[in-house]
Amino acid sequence: MRANVWSGRNTVQVENVPDPKILNDRDAIVRITSTAICGSDLHLYDGYIPTMKKGDILGHEFMGEVVETGRGVENLQVGDRVVVPFPIACGNCWACKHELYSVCENSNPNWGLAEKAFGHGTAGIFGYSHLTGGYAGGQAEYARVPFADVGPIKIEDDLPDEQVLFLSDIFPTGYMGAEMCDIKGGDVIAVFGAGPVGQFAIASAVMLGAEQVIAIDQYDYRLQMAVNKAGATATINFGEDADIVEQLKLLTGGRGPDAVIDAVGMEAWHGHGAIAAVDRVKQAARIESDRGLALRDAILACRPGGIVSVIGVYGGLMDKFPTGAFMNKALTMRTGQCHVQKYLRPLYEHVKNGDIDPSFVITHRLPLGEAPNGYETFKHKQDECVKVVLKP
Amino acid sequence: MPFPPRPVDTTLHGVVDYTAGATLLSVFPKLAGVEGTRSARQIRAAGAIHAGYSALTDYPLGVVKAIPYKAHLALDALGAVALAATPFVTGQFRKGRRHWVPHVALALFEFSSLAITDPTGYGDYHGDVDAVRRANAEDPHRKIYNGTPAVRPAAAAT
Repeated sequence: MRANVWSGRNTVQVENVPDPKILNDRDAIVRITSTAICGSDLHLYDGYIPTMKKGDILGHEFMGEVVETGRGVENLQVGDRVVVPFPIACGNCWACKHELYSVCENSNPNWGLAEKAFGHGTAGIFGYSHLTGGYAGGQAEYARVPFADVGPIKIEDDLPDEQVLFLSDIFPTGYMGAEMCDIKGGDVIAVFGAGPVGQFAIASAVMLGAEQVIAIDQYDYRLQMAVNKAGATATINFGEDADIVEQLKLLTGGRGPDAVIDAVGMEAWHGHGAIAAVDRVKQAARIESDRGLALRDAILACRPGGIVSVIGVYGGLMDKFPTGAFMNKALTMRTGQCHVQKYLRPLYEHVKNGDIDPSFVITHRLPLGEAPNGYETFKHKQDECVKVVLKP
Repeated sequence: MPFPPRPVDTTLHGVVDYTAGATLLSVFPKLAGVEGTRSARQIRAAGAIHAGYSALTDYPLGVVKAIPYKAHLALDALGAVALAATPFVTGQFRKGRRHWVPHVALALFEFSSLAITDPTGYGDYHGDVDAVRRANAEDPHRKIYNGTPAVRPAAAAT
């Protein structure tokens, strides 16, 4: 089969690789009909998440048709159309029993390795380095889905792929980010990053009843999408004025937003100021793993007693964490890789009800063979790119 | 593949370029004990040339982005060889170790730096945006600017 594989920093290639096989009774093989490039794939592409090996198949957002099942998979049949959540979860451990699927205790055979790199292990994740199990990803024609009796959700109507594909990651991730804000009527929510996850965090905050949602980015076209499609009520373009904290205070009567969502993560790049440059150089030299500009500003901007919700991916250690502001403002921080399995059913219902059309983020629909150009276009924000969907 | 394979990206390479250039132009000859000699002039010239073509390089810290990054790396290698060879070409190496050791040490530093530099030039776009536009089944501009909001306010509010 053809698959998009990691070939070194800033290089992916579409190659012929062996077809996946059933390895365990609870596996299924899925013929992929749609897959996507995620912002967090760029952390692998850029080389900031270690333990990638040449030939590793990328991709953790995918859906398709079941073509084979192991003997232990009774809930799926050959021919079923499924969306596959990015965390691989066993369904049986303490974490899974508490709906904390992204920290499943059984699905990551390299938990110890992840513990050394991140400070704690995660569940197995498709196509996301050997720290998360070394599972082959979904930017391919076929994928093996472990614990297929727990993860995938059956799509039993004729909704197009584009409307349900993002149940695999970015819609639940954005939704969890908004849900962690405990939104009440009248709340003001600020969202750092208007990339795909940020767009869904904005849309989810709107769905959850926020009165004002402020989108923050440096690309005007992404801010325009946030307003026109996701429902943001105000924007901050930090390319024009880098003092985000001050602008948020101006928009909120000097107090700050009730909650702030960091949908940026470890490669924040405001592009201004000495601290940004120092972060950039330190990360390039591997002196720190995470550039913390967005998270620092989120903490500094949030109102006293507010919530900082972190859904952007971080991979290790960041410097200059503003502990003084965090403590003295009595902030609450909530975070985590998304427990996608928990959100699949309710969010699928919202899509079916017409509460949201998740396909609004798709700006590029390309054949799988264009994946290398897709990565570059997405990474460098060329051609008004927000989200790339690949068709195997 | 061991990680990181080539940890120095264009930004860090630029920082090293300017730092090395400034150091060679200023304090290095004195620290190396060659102040006032022909060696000092050679090392200062090397620093000035290095900083000069760095400013003309197409990378994040370049001022006029005229020289491709890979050409810059080739100049680094050529410059290192030239600097190391200079004392032996001029014959000044006969005056003692301090008249050739700094040149060779600087060349070794340059090659060490090149060995851990990512030659793909992280951060530079190397995709084919025209191919993307031809293959794209969507119209990005229309998706962003036209149509109605994709979400129903308070649809999930309790």
